[in-house]
Amino acid sequence: MTKKIPVILDGDPGHDDAIAWVLAAASPLLDIKAVTSVCGNQTIQKTTYNAGRIMTLVGLDVPLAMGRIKPLVADAIIAPTVHGNSGLDGPVLPEPKNKPVDKDACTLMAEVLEASEEPVVLIPTGPLTNIATLLLLYPQLKPKIKHIYLMGGGIEFGNWTPAAEFNILVDPEAADVVFKSGVPITMAGLDVTEQALVFPEDFERIRAVGNPVAKVVAEWLDFFYGFHRSIGYPGAPVHDAVAVAALIKPEIMTMVQMYVAIETTGDYCRGTTVGDRFGVLGQPANARVIMGIDRKAFVDLLAEAAEHYGKGA
Amino acid sequence: MNKFPMLLDCDTGVDDAVAILLTKYLNTLELVAVTTVAGNVEVEHTTRNSLQVLELAGMTHIPVYPGAEKPLLGETVTAHHVHGQNGLNDMVLPQPARKPEHMPAWDAIYEYAKKYKGELVVIAIGPLTNLALAIAKYKELPQLLKRIVIMGGAAVGGNVTPCAEFNVYADPEAADMVFTCGAPVYMCGLDVTMRSYLTAEELDELAALGSKQAVFTRDVMQGILKFYRTYKLGGVAFHDPVTVLYADDDSYFQTDHAGVRVETKGELTRGKTVTDLYSDKQMEHNAYVVTNVDRDIFKKRVFEIMVKYGE
Repeated sequence: MTKKIPVILDGDPGHDDAIAWVLAAASPLLDIKAVTSVCGNQTIQKTTYNAGRIMTLVGLDVPLAMGRIKPLVADAIIAPTVHGNSGLDGPVLPEPKNKPVDKDACTLMAEVLEASEEPVVLIPTGPLTNIATLLLLYPQLKPKIKHIYLMGGGIEFGNWTPAAEFNILVDPEAADVVFKSGVPITMAGLDVTEQALVFPEDFERIRAVGNPVAKVVAEWLDFFYGFHRSIGYPGAPVHDAVAVAALIKPEIMTMVQMYVAIETTGDYCRGTTVGDRFGVLGQPANARVIMGIDRKAFVDLLAEAAEHYGKGA
Repeated sequence: MNKFPMLLDCDTGVDDAVAILLTKYLNTLELVAVTTVAGNVEVEHTTRNSLQVLELAGMTHIPVYPGAEKPLLGETVTAHHVHGQNGLNDMVLPQPARKPEHMPAWDAIYEYAKKYKGELVVIAIGPLTNLALAIAKYKELPQLLKRIVIMGGAAVGGNVTPCAEFNVYADPEAADMVFTCGAPVYMCGLDVTMRSYLTAEELDELAALGSKQAVFTRDVMQGILKFYRTYKLGGVAFHDPVTVLYADDDSYFQTDHAGVRVETKGELTRGKTVTDLYSDKQMEHNAYVVTNVDRDIFKKRVFEIMVKYGE
């Protein structure tokens, strides 16, 4: 049996974070060491509570730590129009079985890194506040980070502003720290995640799996699609799940090595991920940017993950 | 059919030179004046080059009005490494028999706009300094123009930086003034101009038509072919010529109504044309962004016009 990859899930759930974690917890390839919350889609209190609820739903019994109360420098931005007032509106979820540990996210991450024999993969699917804090406080632990698979940014376009994607826009300074860190990065930005569309007929396929997790995932998709349908999408872009899928099923994606820098100033471009596709800046590549995905294979991956949680009741 | 009067504002420039040649045989537009600006090279070069190329085209009746020698606010940016010392890839054309006009470009733009009462099409294929100055000086100017068609910017990507195109990067403040002036602005950016290329073989086919204008086009464009390898393009982009062809006939292009503003402050993004074309977040739709072209028809049009030079 191949050795499992130790990972830390860091996110701001969030419907697509939640589905990303359902995918990660179902994967036989991953050994989830810890979960950390970050403020983004909702306040840190709400995303932490949601993280606990998701972990209970999927039976993930590992330490959870609450992240920083706000981005490194900027004020918080939240997204209730997309994720609802709770940050994870829709189906009724179990109450968290365990309380968050009594330490902050970066301390828990540092402890996991120190204790792990193998270098650990970080999977941040929210703003990069916790990851940047970890890198700033524990630079000596960089060699213990094998790779960062992140959902954030967009080389060609933005969403929350025309030029910036939400996770990077919320904490551009943190993103700047992460992209300058030298740690290997795979970036699942809007270029790929807006191709990772899950259509209403796919919701039904997942619902039909029938177990409690599958039913909840289908209802999350129903809710999450509501916002996207209202602005013309034919399906729900399950952004965050692409970051997890890139680790467990890279063969369904196309990736391009390039230099990526973060714009932290500007009237219109704060939070833009500047991708130097043609190397005009003469900088070495610091990220592997995902530019394409086999949509059907991605949906299959989600449906198979739902099946992992058992036959229909 | 009556043609609309057209004023060409340019920083001639290798591909500007070809754009000037194409203006002679358009279907819907009639060139009435040329204004010049600093950009690819300094304005004394772009002015002289414009006069020389008009002579090559046999259009010595078209007046040339020299314009701004530097951008509104920022540092002067040139592209000598692409366009050579003289701006025409150091090809030598006969010294012009004529001199430029005394009236500056921004006043000329206004005078022609007034003269043609809402019919004038301005095609701006260099940095937008002259138009911005004209807009600053004459508040009624935008209402007097039929439309403004620019070569500049990019909805996606850039060339001089990863996210800024040369003409907008060279004067971002001027570009933002033009995009927000109130006249209909059509942006032929890298999205379309990088798809409007001819290969080395196609340049040779063009030269084989035999006219001195066709041979000049091949020779001058061939010199910049090597710069497109960086962008993995199989030929040389006809940025400025395709903008003229778009202004003449947009039927084989894809155009989208969109919001466009220019980033003037970003450390990494100065000169980026920020558009909501592909974003959830929408802006006020103040411009038209040209995103695609049927390259076969583009190529056919270039050849058709060059054939006329031989007749």
